[in-house]
Amino acid sequence: MHRKKIHMLVLVGGFVAGGLLSGSTASAAEAGATAAMLANTCAGCHGTNGISGGPAMPTIGGLPANYLKTVMEQFKDGSRPSTIMGRLAKGYSDEENALLADAFSKFKWESAQSHPNSKKATAIDPALAAKGAELQASAKCDKCHEDGGVFQDDDTPRVGGQWLDYLLFKMQDLKNAALKVPQPKKMETAIEKLSLEDLTAIAHFYASKK
Amino acid sequence: MSMLNRRGFVKLSGAAALVGLSAATVSRKGFAAAKGHVVVIGGGYGGAIAAKYIRMADPGIDVTLIEKNEFYYSGPLSNWVIAGFRDIEVQKWGYEGLKKHGVKMVHEEATGIDPAAKTVTTKSGAKIKYDRLIVSPGVDFKPVEGYDAEASEKMPHAWSAAGPQTVTLTKQLMAMRDGDPFVMVAPPDPYRCPPGPYERASLVAHYLMKNKPKSKVIILDPKDKFSKMGLFTGGWTKLYGYGTDKSLIEWIPGGEGGKVARVDAKTMTVHTEMAEFKSSCINIIPPQKAGAIAEMAKLTDESGWCPVHFETFESKIHKDIHVIGDSSVASPMPKSGYAANSEAKVAAAAIVALLNGQKPGEPSYVNTCYSLLSPTSGISVAAVYKLVEGKIKEVGGGLSAGDAPDFVRAQEAVYNESWYQSIMADTFS
Repeated sequence: MHRKKIHMLVLVGGFVAGGLLSGSTASAAEAGATAAMLANTCAGCHGTNGISGGPAMPTIGGLPANYLKTVMEQFKDGSRPSTIMGRLAKGYSDEENALLADAFSKFKWESAQSHPNSKKATAIDPALAAKGAELQASAKCDKCHEDGGVFQDDDTPRVGGQWLDYLLFKMQDLKNAALKVPQPKKMETAIEKLSLEDLTAIAHFYASKK
Repeated sequence: MSMLNRRGFVKLSGAAALVGLSAATVSRKGFAAAKGHVVVIGGGYGGAIAAKYIRMADPGIDVTLIEKNEFYYSGPLSNWVIAGFRDIEVQKWGYEGLKKHGVKMVHEEATGIDPAAKTVTTKSGAKIKYDRLIVSPGVDFKPVEGYDAEASEKMPHAWSAAGPQTVTLTKQLMAMRDGDPFVMVAPPDPYRCPPGPYERASLVAHYLMKNKPKSKVIILDPKDKFSKMGLFTGGWTKLYGYGTDKSLIEWIPGGEGGKVARVDAKTMTVHTEMAEFKSSCINIIPPQKAGAIAEMAKLTDESGWCPVHFETFESKIHKDIHVIGDSSVASPMPKSGYAANSEAKVAAAAIVALLNGQKPGEPSYVNTCYSLLSPTSGISVAAVYKLVEGKIKEVGGGLSAGDAPDFVRAQEAVYNESWYQSIMADTFS
């Protein structure tokens, strides 16, 4: 953080010294809103730097850019069900969605359990979490959602340490066939074999991760 | 350089000299030299965010926030308190988080602004000098015949500042005799929190259904339509018998005698042009205008609100003063907490750019606003806005589906609480 600030100052100084200030900002304005400007408007729901205050709004700060971009595109084209995001995503161009995804991916993830609001949120049931640990292993969720769902890559969002109420909503959505939540084939097959009760236990397991 | 005309060049060299100087100072002294002093009046959904986001973007800028109260009570979600299923303490926030961002707090009332001298005067007589000023005072009330400060203790508005007024109305509702009506006088457009009165009516109806089934809500409204109207009336029909003679909510629009002529706090009566309504529980939400300090500083026009440039929220009347939140005219953005948050971030980014000798970047604005039909049924309106030819234009968004299934309404009710937790953390920590 400290180093970043120094870098910014040097940059400002550099532009001024080179007399490039006006030219550079004119082109920035033409290029549209900056990633920071766009991302800051989301913080009212997703929290400063994408760290949600819970209990149901997901933390998106630190999730993989490719996943976030894909999800925004799916909200926009209507293929991913949502309460509100389908409406909001229509307000952004593909380029802006990519900027948003990139901006949020660069923030540092903070697990729900380490957030001060976790004490006010729906409590994690340790017995359910333990049952969920076994269930997700036998259903092979951990083939992709490795390390208790803490792992992430381009196509796999981190689910370990997410807010419990959000995970519970998503599990309900996944079991609601009418919603047709987009998901990889192997996940669809795994979900089919699990009951909503099983998925609830798995949600408690993922939410318990720090 | 070839892009610049002569005038631009002169301006630029001026800016370069200034920024060059501060850059030189910075390199000698680290981060000690301030690039400027921003003063913010009003520590709510708009002002607190502006203060924080300026400090987050550029710790080289000094920020002072003038807010008369030590604690802030959120208006959003205070209807839950009135209907008896939320503690007022959950609505209460302090300014310790902003201090951690290096925001200097002055807990005093701002009593004057001198746009020429660029100073703000506080009640104690102190003069605070600014390079740029952000005015975010919320709303003030226009007169209603018979409604003064004393009357507002008996017929609470529970609107301009949550807290004591919210508690008064809550107590009146709880003490109300089963069979008395909850009389609400709704305000004309434009006003703070457009769906607010109708969410209040919904939640009071929910309370009455459980606790005072012989009572009902009567809304006296000068308007003939209102925010999220189809979603509200749809919810009322489903939950509260709206449209039947057993309805827990009766809405009297302006065209059908809803306009209030005067109120009488002594006899607890509301007089419309044709009738009178008596109750032990009367909620008057008066017509509104920009906050008093904005009017005093002549930042308002004949509409009673503050015209601004939408790329910076700088006043169209006074230079170097930015007006955000409910006091500003930012239509089609509503006067909502989320809109104030979003406007604050546009103003903050513009001010950071300007104090660094740069041109403000392109703005982006969002509004997201939840309301409850009952404690377990939520609805929302959301929109993304862009600046198009100098005007704010909605480029995406909309309302919750009218035919959304119960589980979606239930999810939105929980997202409403989540909205509150995140936006309050964004504002105060």
